[in-house]
Amino acid sequence: MSIAREAYRALESIVGPEHISEDPVTCRAYRTKSYRRETAYETICMAPECVVMPKTTDEVQRIVKVCNRYKVPYTPTSTYWYATSSPKKPNELMIDLKRMNKLEINDKHMYAIVESGVVYGQLQQEALDRGLYTMVSGGGSQVSVICNHINQGWSPLNYRTGLIGRRTLGIEWVLPDGEILRLGSLALNEDDYSWGEGIGPDLRGILRGASGWMGAMGIVTRLATKLIPFQPERLEPTGISPDTTLMLPQNRIRWYNFNLPNRESLERAMYELGWHEIAAAATKVPVLWRYIARAKSKEDFWRLWSQVTPEEIASTHILRILVVGYTSEEQLDYEERVLMDIMERLGGEFRRTKPSDESWIKNADSAGMWWMTGGYVSIEYVIETIQHGVKQGVAIADLKKKFVPPLVNDFGDPGWFQAVELGHGDYSEFLTYWDPDDKEYYKADQMYLETMKLNIDKGFYSSFLNAQPIWLTGPAFGPNYHLWQIRVKKAFDSDNLSNPPGLECYDEIVERSDHLTRDWEKGSMEEVV
Amino acid sequence: MVNPPKLEQYQYDMERCIHCGGCRWVDHIYTPGVRFGVKCPSIARFEFDEYAAYGREEIGLALLKGELDYSPRFIDAVFQCQLCGACDAGCKRNLDLEPLLTLETLRARCVADGQGPLPAHKKVADNIAKTHNRYGSPHKNRPQWLADDIKPAAKADMLYFVGCASSYTATSLAQATARILQASGAEFMLLGGEECCGYPLYATGQVDAFIKQMERNLEALKKSGASTVIVNCAECYKTWRVDYPKVLGKSTADMGFTVMHIVEYVDQQLKDGKIKFKNPVEMKLTYHDSCNLGRLSEPSIYWEGTRGKYGCLEPSKEYRRGTYGIYQPPRDILAAIPGVELVEMYRHHENTWCCGAGGGVRDANKDFALWTAQDRLEEAQDVGAEAIVSACPYCKENFSEAIKNGKEKLKAYDIVELIAQAMKVRGGKR
Ligand SMILES: Cc1cc2nc3c(=O)[nH]c(=O)nc-3n(C[C@H](O)[C@H](O)[C@H](O)COP(=O)(O)OP(=O)(O)OC[C@H]3O[C@@H](n4cnc5c(N)ncnc54)[C@H](O)[C@@H]3O)c2cc1C
Ligand code: SF4
Ligand code: SF4
Repeated sequence: MSIAREAYRALESIVGPEHISEDPVTCRAYRTKSYRRETAYETICMAPECVVMPKTTDEVQRIVKVCNRYKVPYTPTSTYWYATSSPKKPNELMIDLKRMNKLEINDKHMYAIVESGVVYGQLQQEALDRGLYTMVSGGGSQVSVICNHINQGWSPLNYRTGLIGRRTLGIEWVLPDGEILRLGSLALNEDDYSWGEGIGPDLRGILRGASGWMGAMGIVTRLATKLIPFQPERLEPTGISPDTTLMLPQNRIRWYNFNLPNRESLERAMYELGWHEIAAAATKVPVLWRYIARAKSKEDFWRLWSQVTPEEIASTHILRILVVGYTSEEQLDYEERVLMDIMERLGGEFRRTKPSDESWIKNADSAGMWWMTGGYVSIEYVIETIQHGVKQGVAIADLKKKFVPPLVNDFGDPGWFQAVELGHGDYSEFLTYWDPDDKEYYKADQMYLETMKLNIDKGFYSSFLNAQPIWLTGPAFGPNYHLWQIRVKKAFDSDNLSNPPGLECYDEIVERSDHLTRDWEKGSMEEVV
Repeated sequence: MVNPPKLEQYQYDMERCIHCGGCRWVDHIYTPGVRFGVKCPSIARFEFDEYAAYGREEIGLALLKGELDYSPRFIDAVFQCQLCGACDAGCKRNLDLEPLLTLETLRARCVADGQGPLPAHKKVADNIAKTHNRYGSPHKNRPQWLADDIKPAAKADMLYFVGCASSYTATSLAQATARILQASGAEFMLLGGEECCGYPLYATGQVDAFIKQMERNLEALKKSGASTVIVNCAECYKTWRVDYPKVLGKSTADMGFTVMHIVEYVDQQLKDGKIKFKNPVEMKLTYHDSCNLGRLSEPSIYWEGTRGKYGCLEPSKEYRRGTYGIYQPPRDILAAIPGVELVEMYRHHENTWCCGAGGGVRDANKDFALWTAQDRLEEAQDVGAEAIVSACPYCKENFSEAIKNGKEKLKAYDIVELIAQAMKVRGGKR
C-alpha cells in the first residue's frame, strides 16, 4: 500500500525529492520502538507508508493541507520517546520534524523560541550560558522541548519554575486542517513571543490541558518558553561516559538527602519547605531508582535488588532537596539553616549525596531507568496536592500486589512524588517494570486499566487522560469531560487525520487486545457531534 | 580458530533499541547547544532515520526476521556510516547494548549475502590482495619512506608497524615517528614485507579477506619475535588491538603481544623524563580525538554466555563503553610543548565527531567524508584554533583536503609532526 500518487507528488513538490521517502527501508526505520515493550500500546504501532521532512512552518502548513485535501492521516514526530509518535493506522504519513531545529534566545525578555527538533540539553546549555535556566523533562535531555511543553513537562525543578503551562509563551500552531493559529502576543505581532495569554480565551488550555493531545491536534512549529534567572557560577562538565555529570558550584547549589521517620513526616516536610519558601526542588524518589543509580550493570542491579527487604522499603522515606543560592551565597546559607531546622524538628536523618547533577538540571536521562528489566511504563501521573499524591501512591502500590509477579516487586513503594510550585501542588508518578519476555507480560496492561478504575472508585484524579479510554474515564471525571474533548477534536479535525485514532486511541487498544476486556459503555464520537 | 561476530548475536540488541537518540546527540553534559550538538555524522548528513544507529538496527532486525529485503536504499543506509562508534559510546552511557557491533556485523552480512562490497571497497580489497596495500602501489615501494638517517634494528622487541598511509602517502609521518623513537633511544625493528593491517577490509564487511590478512600479519609478527607493536596510525592501532582478538574470539590480553600508539610511548617517555621538548611551537591548537584511538581503542574483552530473565547475562559482560580510550596522552603531550596553547572543541573524548574518513566512507563517498571533515573544521574555528591536530594519518589527510576545498584558514597536523618539531628531530614540520 502507499499514499495516493497525487498526494505524494504534491508533498514532493513542497519539500523536494530529497526530503520525502516512501522507500520500505525508510519507512521501516521509522517504526518507533519504545520502552513500553510488548504492551498493548506498542503492538498497535506500525511503520508509516511515507516520511516527509519539512524545514519551515510554511512547509508544515502546506503538508497538512495536502493531507486534508487527499485525506491522508499523518503523525508528527520529533524525538520519538513516545510510542504515540508511531502511526497506528495503515497508509499514514509521518512528518519528521527533526530538520526544524532553530533556537533563538531573547536575553532581554528572558525567553527562548524553539522549533520542534531542539532538545532540552541544548536549550538548557544555552540558558545556563546566559545565567538563566529552565526545567528539563525527567524523561531526558534528548527530548524535544516543544513535545514536552505541549504534552508533559514534569520535573522537580517545577517546584520553583512553576508548571510548564505557565511558562509557555507565544505559540505558532498549524491546526489539524492546516490553518495557522498564533497564540499570545504572536496573535498581534508575528515577531513578538513575549506573552502567552489571550487574545481572548487562553487557547493554551485547548492545546494541552493537563497533558496534551499527543499529536492529535495538529503541529506546533514554534513555541516560546520563559527562562528563569539562575545563579552565576558555571556548572562544570566532568567525566567520561558512562560517568559524566556536571559539578555543582558548592557555594551556590547543593543537594541534601534526608531520611525521614515515616511517610507523614516526609509529606509534612514537603509542605514546610514551601511554607518557608525555601529550596529549588523537593522530591521523593522510588527506592528502586536509588538501586538503579548505584548499580554498575543490569546483573549488578539484580544482585543488589535481590537483597532488598520489605522492611527496608517501609523504613526508607528519603526526601531529596535541591537548594540554590539564586541571588547570593547568603541566600543558600539562609535556606540551608531553615532546612536544617525543619529537618531537626521532623527527625530527618542527613545522608551524604554527591555534589553533582545526578539528574534534573541538565543530566536528565531515563533511558536507563527501564533498562534493568527491559520493560517499563508509568501507570499513572498526576498533578494534584501533596496529600493526594501520597494517598494515591499508597493505593496504587496496594493494587500492584495483585500483579506481582510478573511486575517487579518493589514492596509497596508508593512511587515518585514531589512538591511543585512551592508546595501548592504535587506531581506524582507511579511506575511499573517487567520483563517483556515474561509470558504474562500483558499484566502490565491489565494493571494500567485497573488503576483507572481504582482512581474512579476512590476519587483520585489523573493527568493521564490523553492515554486512557475516554469512554471509561471521561464520564467519571466529567461527567461530560470526554464529550467536550470529542467536540473540540471534531471542531478542529473533523476527518480525524491528525495522529489517529487520537482521542480513542486507548479504546482501540482495548478492543484490539486479547488480554483486556471492556466492561464499560462505549459511545460513538459521531453521535456526540 | 576464527570466530567473527555474526548479526544473529545482536538480535536482542536490535530489539531492545528504544529510539531514544542517545546515539545521535552529544552527551547532554557536554552539549554546547544546537550547533555541534549532534555526534553521528550519518544522521546529520542524510537526516532520514535509516541513517542513524537506531534506524539501521531496525532495518537489520527486519532483515534478520525476513521482513525486509535488500535494496539499493538498504545498502546505502548500511554503508553511509563511518563506523565511528559515537553511537556506541552514547548508547552505552545508559544501556548495555551493542550498536556498533550490530552495524559491523550488518555490513558483514550484506557482503556474505552477496550484496557487497561496494565497488570502491572491492577495489581496495583487490589492491590489498595484489599489492598488499590499499592504494594498489607496488609492494616493493613500501619501505621507500625510510630516509638515510633512520636505522631500524634487524631484531628488536619493539616492532614499528608503519601502515599503508605512512608508508605511501604520508611518508613524513613515518619518518617523524621513526626519528622520535630513535631520538628517545628506542630500538625498533620493521616487519620485512609489511602488509596492510586489514582495516579497510573489516570496516567494509569483507571479513573473509580480513581474516586472511590478519593471519598473515600475525604470522609475520610471530616470526619477528617482537612483543610490542608500535603504530602511529589509529586505524592500525584499533585493528591490531581490538579487531584481531575480536575476530579470533579472544581478549586483547590473551594475544601475547602489546599494541602501542606512538602517543602512549611519547607520553610515558615524557613523564619519565626521557624525552624533552626544547623547541617551542607557537600555536593555538585543538586536538581531534580520532575515533579509532579514542572511544574505539579499548581492548577487546571476549565474552561467551547466556541471557536469562530480564535479559541478564551469565556471566556478566564487561562492556566496552569508550571510557578507557587513549584520550589523555595526546593532550598531555601537546600541553607539554612550549608555546602551544591547547583549546578543546565541544565534541571531544568519547563524544568526538569523526574526521569523516573512516569505515570506508572516504573510498566510497568522498563528498560525505569531506562534508564531515568540514563540520569538524568549523568547530575548530569556532573555538579559535589555528590548527587541528590528530593522531592518525587518515584524519590529517581528510582534514587537509577539506581545508584545501574550503574557506577555513586552519592548518591540519599529525601529532608526530609537532612532537618531532618540539624534540628538534628532523621530520618535524610547520
Ligand atoms: C522513560 C520515560 C520517562 C519520562 N519521564 C518524564 C518526566 O519525568 N517528565 C516529563 O515531563 N516527561 C517525561 N517523559 C516524557 C518525555 O519527556 C516525552 O516523551 C517528551 O516530553 C516528548 O518527547 P518525545 O520524544 O516523546 O516526542 P515525540 O515522540 O516526537 O512526540 C510525542 C507526541 O507528540 C506528537 N508530536 C511530535 N511533535 C509534535 C509537534 N511539533 N506538534 C504537535 N505534536 C507533536 C507526536 O505525534 C507524539 O504523539 C518520559 C518519557 C519516557 C519514555
Ligand atoms: S542505539 Fe541505543 S542510544 Fe540509540 S536509540 Fe537505540 S537504545 Fe537509544
Ligand atoms: S558509527 Fe558513527 S556514523 Fe555510523 S551510525 Fe554510529 S555514530 Fe553514526
